[in-house]
Amino acid sequence: MISHHPDDDLLLALAAGGQEPGAALVLRAHLETCPHCRARLGVLEAVGGALLDAVEPALLEPEALARTLARLDRPEAADRPALRPARRRPELPEGVAWPASLRECAVSGWRWMGPGMAYSRVRLPHDPAAALFLLRIGAGRELPRHTHGRLEFTQVLCGEFDDGRGVFGPGDFDAADGDVRHQPAVRASGVCVCLAYVSDGLVFEGRVASLIGGLIGM
Amino acid sequence: MPTSDDLNRWIIAVARDADRQAFAALFKHFAPRVKSYLMRCGAAPAVAEELAQEAMVVLWRKAALFDPRRAAASTWVFAIARHLRVDALRRAVPMADEELAPDEVPQDPTDAPATPDDLAQAAESERGVRRALAELPPEQALVLRLSFFEEHPHARIAEQLGVPLGTVKSRIRLAVGHLRRLLESNES
Repeated sequence: MISHHPDDDLLLALAAGGQEPGAALVLRAHLETCPHCRARLGVLEAVGGALLDAVEPALLEPEALARTLARLDRPEAADRPALRPARRRPELPEGVAWPASLRECAVSGWRWMGPGMAYSRVRLPHDPAAALFLLRIGAGRELPRHTHGRLEFTQVLCGEFDDGRGVFGPGDFDAADGDVRHQPAVRASGVCVCLAYVSDGLVFEGRVASLIGGLIGM
Repeated sequence: MPTSDDLNRWIIAVARDADRQAFAALFKHFAPRVKSYLMRCGAAPAVAEELAQEAMVVLWRKAALFDPRRAAASTWVFAIARHLRVDALRRAVPMADEELAPDEVPQDPTDAPATPDDLAQAAESERGVRRALAELPPEQALVLRLSFFEEHPHARIAEQLGVPLGTVKSRIRLAVGHLRRLLESNES
């Protein structure tokens, strides 16, 4: 049962194509598991369709149709390489599915970050500097109280944490900004794995650990 | 102006029969609108022209994935245009893989063919969205329109409505909430 969903403005930006790639990826991971939000997005995309129909048509170049018709006969993607093969990926707890939205990302192995805590760097093919990662926090672990300098998006893949604002479980989405000061505690029932993105976090390799350290107050 | 039934029929004709006449009709309707949309989003005219043609090539190739039960033709084409726009922005970081990412393909084909009931229902919900959009207070419709059609929507909305950037988010929430309530009341 999913009880935390992205706000309207986040889905609207996704429908409009205005979402940062890292943010879009976390939102798409949520949409995969949430029919409710897929329906909400569907309405907003239909708004995009209605606006497209209503827009004042632009003048095309005179030979536009002829040129496009000629392009239809060219073989599709003849010179395009196939999708890169899946890379080795960090292990997830049994029964936890990989979000399909991570399909094209490079995902590192688990790296130690503290007792019972690990992170994995997720890199988007088109935006490798985006601050996107998986966090794995052991059952019963508690993060230090912290606040977020920037907007952070989180999608829970498994496990549950309680941060005083609510309980976040599998499928739940959270957007926390600088106003949120919380202390997530992972429930004893099992390890918690989250996909997380920090907005505008331009990160260079080697700084990721300190960024995540900053995030969780270490 | 073609009806949404016309547009659906043409896309299906493209998918089934590689029908170039249907394609030309779709081109006439969509290509100038996609170009206009892209220019509003900040693309230079030559880039918008190129991407509009590209969008129509994608329509030709992906026509079999179109499912009129899941979204109207214009919604589907909007998603293609949006993807190309986002992709063009990404090209600053050149990548080997320019293929439409599977999760960005707006729809998946389903095995069962659409029944007239399905189609009527899809058309009805699409009309519902359009009706609700037309019923929104003008300043809320503006918030939605700018969200879709501006390069820096939040800053532009703030400027046009003369409100601080911070209130833009709550205006959006108001507009979407209003839209949803209108849809629910229209349904019942």
